[in-house]
Amino acid sequence: MKRNVLLVGGRSKAKSLAQSLIQKGYQVTIVNSSYVDCEKLAENDKFTVIHGDGTKPYVLEDAGANHMDIAIALTSKDEDNLVICELCKKKFLIPKTLSLLSDPQKTDFFYKMGVDRVICAISAVTSIIEQQAFMEEMAKVIPLGEGRVRIIEIPITEKDPAAQKQIWEIDLPKEVIIGCILRQNQTLIPRGDTRILAGDVLVLISGNDQEEIALLELKGGESKWRG
Amino acid sequence: MTLFKNKKQSSYTVIIGCGRLGANLANTLSEEGENVLILDEDKDSFRKLSSSFGGLAVEGDGTELDTLKAADVQRADTVVAVTNNDNVNIMIAQIAKECFSVKRVISRLFDPERECVYQELGIDTICPAVLSANEIDKILNRNAGTQEVVKA
Repeated sequence: MKRNVLLVGGRSKAKSLAQSLIQKGYQVTIVNSSYVDCEKLAENDKFTVIHGDGTKPYVLEDAGANHMDIAIALTSKDEDNLVICELCKKKFLIPKTLSLLSDPQKTDFFYKMGVDRVICAISAVTSIIEQQAFMEEMAKVIPLGEGRVRIIEIPITEKDPAAQKQIWEIDLPKEVIIGCILRQNQTLIPRGDTRILAGDVLVLISGNDQEEIALLELKGGESKWRG
Repeated sequence: MTLFKNKKQSSYTVIIGCGRLGANLANTLSEEGENVLILDEDKDSFRKLSSSFGGLAVEGDGTELDTLKAADVQRADTVVAVTNNDNVNIMIAQIAKECFSVKRVISRLFDPERECVYQELGIDTICPAVLSANEIDKILNRNAGTQEVVKA
Protein backbone atom coordinates (compact mmCIF):
# COMPACT_ATOMS: atom_id res chain seq x y z
CA MET A 1 0.00 0.00 0.00
CA LYS A 2 1.46 3.31 -1.09
CA ARG A 3 1.73 6.07 1.46
CA ASN A 4 -0.13 9.24 0.54
CA VAL A 5 1.44 12.64 0.97
CA LEU A 6 -0.36 15.96 0.63
CA LEU A 7 1.67 19.07 -0.20
CA VAL A 8 -0.03 22.45 0.13
CA GLY A 9 1.48 25.56 -1.43
CA GLY A 10 5.04 26.34 -2.41
CA ARG A 11 5.84 26.06 -6.11
CA SER A 12 9.47 25.10 -6.43
CA LYS A 13 9.66 23.54 -2.98
CA ALA A 14 6.57 21.47 -3.71
CA LYS A 15 7.94 20.42 -7.07
CA SER A 16 11.32 19.20 -5.92
CA LEU A 17 9.88 17.62 -2.79
CA ALA A 18 7.20 15.85 -4.83
CA GLN A 19 9.75 14.51 -7.27
CA SER A 20 11.93 13.09 -4.55
CA LEU A 21 8.94 11.63 -2.68
CA ILE A 22 7.71 9.90 -5.83
CA GLN A 23 11.11 8.34 -6.34
CA LYS A 24 10.82 6.95 -2.83
CA GLY A 25 7.47 5.42 -3.70
CA TYR A 26 5.00 7.85 -2.21
CA GLN A 27 1.73 8.91 -3.78
CA VAL A 28 1.79 12.71 -3.97
CA THR A 29 -1.06 15.23 -4.22
CA ILE A 30 -0.30 18.94 -4.50
CA VAL A 31 -2.69 21.79 -3.69
CA ASN A 32 -1.77 25.25 -4.92
CA SER A 33 -3.78 28.45 -5.01
CA SER A 34 -2.03 29.92 -8.05
CA TYR A 35 -3.31 28.67 -11.41
CA VAL A 36 0.00 29.42 -13.15
CA ASP A 37 1.91 27.43 -10.54
CA CYS A 38 -0.56 24.58 -10.92
CA GLU A 39 0.03 24.47 -14.66
CA LYS A 40 3.77 24.29 -14.09
CA LEU A 41 3.38 21.55 -11.51
CA ALA A 42 0.99 19.58 -13.69
CA GLU A 43 3.67 19.18 -16.35
CA ASN A 44 4.78 16.15 -14.38
CA ASP A 45 1.99 13.60 -14.71
CA LYS A 46 3.16 11.45 -11.81
CA PHE A 47 1.44 13.56 -9.21
CA THR A 48 -2.07 14.94 -8.82
CA VAL A 49 -2.38 18.72 -8.82
CA ILE A 50 -5.39 20.55 -7.42
CA HIS A 51 -6.00 24.24 -7.90
CA GLY A 52 -7.52 25.91 -4.85
CA ASP A 53 -6.95 27.57 -1.50
CA GLY A 54 -5.58 24.86 0.77
CA THR A 55 -6.83 26.66 3.87
CA LYS A 56 -10.41 25.90 2.82
CA PRO A 57 -11.82 22.63 4.08
CA TYR A 58 -13.63 21.73 0.87
CA VAL A 59 -10.47 22.11 -1.20
CA LEU A 60 -8.63 19.75 1.13
CA GLU A 61 -11.54 17.37 0.92
CA ASP A 62 -11.36 17.41 -2.89
CA ALA A 63 -7.66 16.69 -2.61
CA GLY A 64 -8.54 13.53 -0.69
CA ALA A 65 -7.25 14.72 2.67
CA ASN A 66 -9.24 11.94 4.32
CA HIS A 67 -6.89 9.30 2.99
CA MET A 68 -3.59 11.10 3.52
CA ASP A 69 -0.85 9.81 5.78
CA ILE A 70 1.27 12.95 5.84
CA ALA A 71 0.37 16.60 5.18
CA ILE A 72 3.05 19.19 4.52
CA ALA A 73 2.24 22.93 4.51
CA LEU A 74 4.71 24.85 2.36
CA THR A 75 3.08 28.24 1.82
CA SER A 76 5.00 31.41 2.56
CA LYS A 77 2.47 32.61 5.11
CA ASP A 78 2.69 31.31 8.66
CA GLU A 79 -1.01 31.75 9.34
CA ASP A 80 -1.95 29.75 6.26
CA ASN A 81 0.41 26.95 7.20
CA LEU A 82 -1.02 26.83 10.71
CA VAL A 83 -4.60 26.64 9.49
CA ILE A 84 -3.71 23.98 6.90
CA CYS A 85 -2.06 21.80 9.53
CA GLU A 86 -4.89 22.27 12.02
CA LEU A 87 -7.55 21.43 9.46
CA CYS A 88 -5.58 18.39 8.33
CA LYS A 89 -5.11 17.24 11.91
CA LYS A 90 -8.51 17.99 13.39
CA LYS A 91 -10.95 17.76 10.52
CA PHE A 92 -9.29 15.17 8.32
CA LEU A 93 -7.40 13.28 11.03
CA ILE A 94 -4.15 13.07 9.12
CA PRO A 95 -1.67 11.37 11.48
CA LYS A 96 1.37 13.48 10.67
CA THR A 97 1.53 17.16 9.79
CA LEU A 98 4.58 19.24 8.94
CA SER A 99 4.75 22.97 8.52
CA LEU A 100 7.20 25.44 7.14
CA LEU A 101 7.57 28.51 9.33
CA SER A 102 9.14 31.88 8.58
CA ASP A 103 9.07 33.47 12.02
CA PRO A 104 11.40 31.47 14.30
CA GLN A 105 9.72 32.90 17.40
CA LYS A 106 6.56 30.95 16.67
CA THR A 107 8.20 27.52 16.66
CA ASP A 108 7.01 26.62 20.17
CA PHE A 109 3.57 28.01 19.48
CA PHE A 110 3.19 25.83 16.37
CA TYR A 111 4.19 22.72 18.32
CA LYS A 112 1.69 23.66 21.03
CA MET A 113 -1.05 23.89 18.44
CA GLY A 114 -0.44 20.28 17.48
CA VAL A 115 1.74 20.54 14.38
CA ASP A 116 3.97 17.46 14.49
CA ARG A 117 7.06 18.92 12.89
CA VAL A 118 7.90 22.57 12.42
CA ILE A 119 10.64 23.46 9.96
CA CYS A 120 11.86 26.98 10.33
CA ALA A 121 13.63 27.87 7.12
CA ILE A 122 15.24 31.01 8.47
CA SER A 123 16.86 29.42 11.48
CA ALA A 124 17.93 26.41 9.42
CA VAL A 125 19.56 28.62 6.80
CA THR A 126 21.18 31.00 9.28
CA SER A 127 22.62 28.13 11.28
CA ILE A 128 24.09 26.60 8.12
CA ILE A 129 25.58 29.95 7.09
CA GLU A 130 27.02 30.38 10.56
CA GLN A 131 28.60 26.96 10.39
CA GLN A 132 30.04 27.59 6.97
CA ALA A 133 31.39 30.99 7.92
CA PHE A 134 32.89 30.29 11.32
CA MET A 135 33.39 26.61 11.65
CA GLU A 136 35.35 25.71 8.57
CA GLU A 137 37.31 23.07 10.39
CA MET A 138 34.23 21.07 11.13
CA ALA A 139 33.63 19.09 8.04
CA LYS A 140 30.05 18.26 8.83
CA VAL A 141 27.59 19.25 11.53
CA ILE A 142 24.28 17.50 11.90
CA PRO A 143 21.85 19.13 14.33
CA LEU A 144 19.35 16.88 16.07
CA GLY A 145 16.45 17.67 18.38
CA GLU A 146 16.09 21.31 17.29
CA GLY A 147 19.84 21.80 17.46
CA ARG A 148 20.20 20.80 21.09
CA VAL A 149 22.40 17.90 20.08
CA ARG A 150 24.89 17.97 17.25
CA ILE A 151 26.92 15.30 15.55
CA ILE A 152 30.17 16.77 14.29
CA GLU A 153 32.90 15.37 12.07
CA ILE A 154 36.35 16.67 12.89
CA PRO A 155 39.45 15.78 10.90
CA ILE A 156 42.64 15.61 12.99
CA THR A 157 45.97 16.73 11.53
CA GLU A 158 49.41 16.18 13.02
CA LYS A 159 49.58 19.81 14.19
CA ASP A 160 46.56 19.41 16.41
CA PRO A 161 47.07 18.95 20.15
CA ALA A 162 44.82 15.90 20.15
CA ALA A 163 47.02 13.98 17.72
CA GLN A 164 48.99 11.15 19.37
CA LYS A 165 47.00 11.53 22.58
CA GLN A 166 44.99 8.90 24.31
CA ILE A 167 41.40 9.83 24.86
CA TRP A 168 41.63 10.00 28.66
CA GLU A 169 44.37 12.62 28.25
CA ILE A 170 42.01 14.99 26.51
CA ASP A 171 39.89 17.17 28.76
CA LEU A 172 36.60 17.21 26.90
CA PRO A 173 33.53 18.97 28.30
CA LYS A 174 31.10 16.63 30.06
CA GLU A 175 28.46 17.05 27.38
CA VAL A 176 30.71 15.97 24.55
CA ILE A 177 31.78 12.44 23.70
CA ILE A 178 33.83 11.03 20.87
CA GLY A 179 31.36 8.57 19.45
CA CYS A 180 33.47 7.10 16.75
CA ILE A 181 36.87 7.37 15.05
CA LEU A 182 37.14 6.94 11.31
CA ARG A 183 40.67 5.73 10.50
CA GLN A 184 41.29 4.94 6.83
CA ASN A 185 38.76 2.20 6.13
CA GLN A 186 38.24 1.28 9.75
CA THR A 187 35.55 2.44 12.10
CA LEU A 188 36.69 2.42 15.71
CA ILE A 189 34.48 2.81 18.73
CA PRO A 190 36.93 4.53 21.05
CA ARG A 191 37.75 3.65 24.63
CA GLY A 192 39.72 5.67 27.15
CA ASP A 193 43.02 4.17 26.04
CA THR A 194 42.46 4.58 22.30
CA ARG A 195 45.14 6.78 20.78
CA ILE A 196 44.10 9.43 18.29
CA LEU A 197 46.34 9.56 15.22
CA ALA A 198 46.89 12.25 12.64
CA GLY A 199 44.54 11.66 9.71
CA ASP A 200 41.78 10.34 11.93
CA VAL A 201 38.31 11.78 11.60
CA LEU A 202 36.53 12.06 14.93
CA VAL A 203 32.77 11.91 15.17
CA LEU A 204 31.68 13.97 18.17
CA ILE A 205 28.29 13.99 19.79
CA SER A 206 27.79 17.28 21.56
CA GLY A 207 25.00 18.77 23.62
CA ASN A 208 24.25 22.37 24.61
CA ASP A 209 26.68 24.11 22.26
CA GLN A 210 29.71 22.58 23.94
CA GLU A 211 31.40 21.77 20.65
CA GLU A 212 33.46 24.97 20.59
CA ILE A 213 35.09 24.09 23.89
CA ALA A 214 35.69 20.58 22.62
CA LEU A 215 37.23 21.96 19.45
CA LEU A 216 39.58 24.15 21.47
CA GLU A 217 40.73 21.04 23.30
CA LEU A 218 41.13 18.96 20.16
CA LYS A 219 42.43 21.48 17.63
CA GLY A 220 43.92 24.01 20.02
CA GLY A 221 44.43 27.76 19.97
CA GLU A 222 42.19 30.59 19.02
CA SER A 223 41.58 29.22 15.60
CA LYS A 224 39.40 30.82 12.97
CA TRP A 225 36.18 29.03 13.80
CA ARG A 226 35.82 31.17 16.85
CA GLY A 227 34.56 33.93 14.63
CA MET B 1 -14.21 45.86 51.01
CA THR B 2 -17.63 45.43 49.48
CA LEU B 3 -17.46 48.94 48.20
CA PHE B 4 -14.26 48.11 46.48
CA LYS B 5 -15.78 45.05 44.88
CA ASN B 6 -18.82 46.90 43.67
CA LYS B 7 -16.76 49.48 41.91
CA LYS B 8 -16.63 48.46 38.30
CA GLN B 9 -13.06 48.17 37.17
CA SER B 10 -12.55 49.18 33.59
CA SER B 11 -11.24 46.27 31.57
CA TYR B 12 -8.49 46.24 29.03
CA THR B 13 -9.34 45.26 25.47
CA VAL B 14 -6.87 44.74 22.65
CA ILE B 15 -8.29 44.96 19.14
CA ILE B 16 -6.21 43.73 16.23
CA GLY B 17 -7.12 45.15 12.85
CA CYS B 18 -8.38 48.69 12.43
CA GLY B 19 -10.92 48.13 9.69
CA ARG B 20 -14.50 49.37 9.85
CA LEU B 21 -15.43 46.78 12.46
CA GLY B 22 -12.29 47.22 14.55
CA ALA B 23 -12.44 51.01 14.51
CA ASN B 24 -16.14 51.06 15.31
CA LEU B 25 -15.71 48.71 18.23
CA ALA B 26 -12.73 50.71 19.50
CA ASN B 27 -14.74 53.93 19.38
CA THR B 28 -17.68 52.37 21.23
CA LEU B 29 -15.56 50.78 23.96
CA SER B 30 -13.57 53.95 24.41
CA GLU B 31 -16.78 55.95 24.81
CA GLU B 32 -17.90 53.50 27.47
CA GLY B 33 -14.75 54.33 29.37
CA GLU B 34 -12.82 51.11 28.82
CA ASN B 35 -9.12 50.86 28.18
CA VAL B 36 -8.62 50.04 24.53
CA LEU B 37 -5.55 49.37 22.45
CA ILE B 38 -5.95 49.00 18.72
CA LEU B 39 -3.25 47.50 16.53
CA ASP B 40 -2.87 47.70 12.78
CA GLU B 41 -0.09 47.29 10.25
CA ASP B 42 -1.09 50.40 8.39
CA LYS B 43 -1.17 53.63 10.35
CA ASP B 44 -3.43 55.27 7.75
CA SER B 45 -6.22 52.99 8.89
CA PHE B 46 -6.30 54.82 12.24
CA ARG B 47 -8.08 57.75 10.60
CA LYS B 48 -11.23 55.66 10.95
CA LEU B 49 -11.03 56.21 14.70
CA SER B 50 -13.19 59.05 15.98
CA SER B 51 -11.52 62.22 17.24
CA SER B 52 -12.76 61.46 20.75
CA PHE B 53 -11.06 58.04 20.80
CA GLY B 54 -9.22 57.87 24.09
CA GLY B 55 -7.34 54.63 23.71
CA LEU B 56 -3.99 53.72 22.22
CA ALA B 57 -3.42 53.18 18.52
CA VAL B 58 -0.29 51.16 17.79
CA GLU B 59 1.24 50.44 14.40
CA GLY B 60 2.58 46.90 14.12
CA ASP B 61 2.14 43.33 12.92
CA GLY B 62 -0.36 41.60 15.19
CA THR B 63 0.97 38.16 14.29
CA GLU B 64 4.36 38.92 15.85
CA LEU B 65 4.88 37.82 19.42
CA ASP B 66 7.04 40.84 20.20
CA THR B 67 4.39 43.27 19.00
CA LEU B 68 1.74 41.56 21.08
CA LYS B 69 4.01 41.57 24.11
CA ALA B 70 4.65 45.29 23.65
CA ALA B 71 0.88 45.82 23.49
CA ASP B 72 0.61 44.17 26.91
CA VAL B 73 -1.67 41.44 25.59
CA GLN B 74 -0.90 39.24 28.62
CA ARG B 75 -2.71 41.83 30.76
CA ALA B 76 -5.74 42.09 28.47
CA ASP B 77 -9.16 40.85 29.55
CA THR B 78 -10.32 40.51 25.98
CA VAL B 79 -8.58 40.21 22.64
CA VAL B 80 -10.56 40.81 19.47
CA ALA B 81 -9.04 39.66 16.17
CA VAL B 82 -10.76 41.46 13.31
CA THR B 83 -8.25 41.76 10.48
CA ASN B 84 -9.50 41.18 6.95
CA ASN B 85 -7.81 37.77 6.75
CA ASP B 86 -9.45 34.73 8.35
CA ASN B 87 -6.25 32.79 8.80
CA VAL B 88 -4.52 35.74 10.43
CA ASN B 89 -7.46 36.06 12.83
CA ILE B 90 -7.29 32.37 13.63
CA MET B 91 -3.58 32.56 14.35
CA ILE B 92 -3.79 35.71 16.46
CA ALA B 93 -6.67 34.26 18.47
CA GLN B 94 -4.71 31.09 19.14
CA ILE B 95 -1.55 32.99 20.08
CA ALA B 96 -3.56 35.16 22.48
CA LYS B 97 -5.13 32.10 24.07
CA GLU B 98 -2.11 29.82 24.22
CA CYS B 99 0.90 32.11 24.56
CA PHE B 100 -0.65 34.97 26.52
CA SER B 101 -3.42 33.09 28.38
CA VAL B 102 -6.05 35.70 27.55
CA LYS B 103 -9.41 34.66 29.03
CA ARG B 104 -11.71 35.97 26.36
CA VAL B 105 -10.77 35.83 22.72
CA ILE B 106 -13.18 36.85 19.99
CA SER B 107 -12.45 36.47 16.34
CA ARG B 108 -14.18 37.43 13.14
CA LEU B 109 -14.34 34.70 10.52
CA PHE B 110 -15.69 35.30 7.04
CA ASP B 111 -15.76 31.62 6.17
CA PRO B 112 -17.75 29.64 8.76
CA GLU B 113 -16.35 26.35 7.45
CA ARG B 114 -13.11 26.80 9.35
CA GLU B 115 -14.87 27.00 12.69
CA CYS B 116 -13.86 23.50 13.72
CA VAL B 117 -10.35 24.78 14.35
CA TYR B 118 -11.65 27.20 16.95
CA GLN B 119 -14.24 25.20 18.80
CA GLU B 120 -11.87 23.05 20.82
CA LEU B 121 -9.88 26.05 21.90
CA GLY B 122 -12.71 28.06 23.42
CA ILE B 123 -12.41 30.96 21.03
CA ASP B 124 -15.62 32.81 20.22
CA THR B 125 -16.24 33.42 16.56
CA ILE B 126 -18.39 35.90 14.75
CA CYS B 127 -19.33 35.21 11.18
CA PRO B 128 -20.74 38.22 9.29
CA ALA B 129 -22.43 36.09 6.63
CA VAL B 130 -24.32 34.01 9.19
CA LEU B 131 -25.29 37.07 11.22
CA SER B 132 -26.52 38.93 8.15
CA ALA B 133 -28.47 35.92 6.94
CA ASN B 134 -30.19 35.65 10.34
CA GLU B 135 -30.99 39.35 10.35
CA ILE B 136 -32.41 39.27 6.82
CA ASP B 137 -34.41 36.21 7.74
CA LYS B 138 -35.83 38.07 10.75
CA ILE B 139 -36.85 41.04 8.59
CA LEU B 140 -38.49 38.75 6.08
CA ASN B 141 -40.43 36.95 8.81
CA ARG B 142 -41.55 40.22 10.36
CA ASN B 143 -42.78 41.47 7.02
CA ALA B 144 -44.63 38.24 6.44
CA GLY B 145 -46.23 38.55 9.87
CA THR B 146 -47.65 42.01 9.27
CA GLN B 147 -48.77 41.13 5.76
CA GLU B 148 -46.89 44.08 4.37
CA VAL B 149 -46.90 44.29 0.61
CA VAL B 150 -43.71 45.42 -1.01
CA LYS B 151 -44.17 47.03 -4.36
CA ALA B 152 -41.49 46.49 -6.91
